[in-house]
Amino acid sequence: MEAFKDKQDSNKWSNREGLKGWLNPTRYGWERLSYWLMRLTGLFLLLYFVGHVYETSNLVGGLDAWNAMLELTQTTYGHIFLILVIGTSTFHSINGIRLIFAETARGLGKPGRPDYPYEAGSLNNIQRSGIWVALILAAAAMLYGSSVLFGGE
Amino acid sequence: MAGNVQNTRRKFMRESTVMKIHYVTGLAALLTVAVHVMMRVITPFSMSLEYENVVANYQNILYSLLLESILILVSIHGFNGLRVMLLELRQDARWEKFVMLFTLTAMLVVIGYGTRTIIIVSG
Repeated sequence: MEAFKDKQDSNKWSNREGLKGWLNPTRYGWERLSYWLMRLTGLFLLLYFVGHVYETSNLVGGLDAWNAMLELTQTTYGHIFLILVIGTSTFHSINGIRLIFAETARGLGKPGRPDYPYEAGSLNNIQRSGIWVALILAAAAMLYGSSVLFGGE
Repeated sequence: MAGNVQNTRRKFMRESTVMKIHYVTGLAALLTVAVHVMMRVITPFSMSLEYENVVANYQNILYSLLLESILILVSIHGFNGLRVMLLELRQDARWEKFVMLFTLTAMLVVIGYGTRTIIIVSG
């Protein structure tokens, strides 16, 4: 057990690229792009969520505190930020549903003998179309958000 | 091998159960946030953010419950997602314990802070 633990400790940092590997865009296919965007949008949305909880806590301070906070967000940059929130949340939601299907083995294709050129049955058009749908719907949601936020209503 | 089995047993929850919770909270958050966004969109955007309008929303008990649900669901989903990402970058017992404690504490702080706002404004 001790020997196993020592070996584990000595290998702790070997053969791992860490954050550098995670951000390296040179080996990206659609699936890896989706993996990367899922994490990036998730982090962004978590930061937005924490900021939103803090932002809305200004309600406790009364009308003046609320209006002062609104002034900060109701700017062109504030609106662009909100449009990004709309786009990222749409992509994260749709791609998340695709991942639930993948996790429960729906739309993955049948397993087969690995023949050259070794195309994985799991990375098929059904799964890929989920990524495209997520990207297209995110763009559409951002367009709608832009029309509401910059529409001057 | 025996050590690994022992380690697995010592865990608070199986990873597969945690991921099921992750998916369920994600889907539930999607539905509740959709209702929350609809509440903003059914009135003109500039009007929907007026102080009186927002406070009136909070004082509706059903809407307060919806906000509390969103707060809990998104916090669980978001901080578990962060835990998964951090564990992908590095794996060892100390790091796993630190990440677990950090995300759990952050989640409880955000839920506590948001609940405070909901209770005060709706009261």
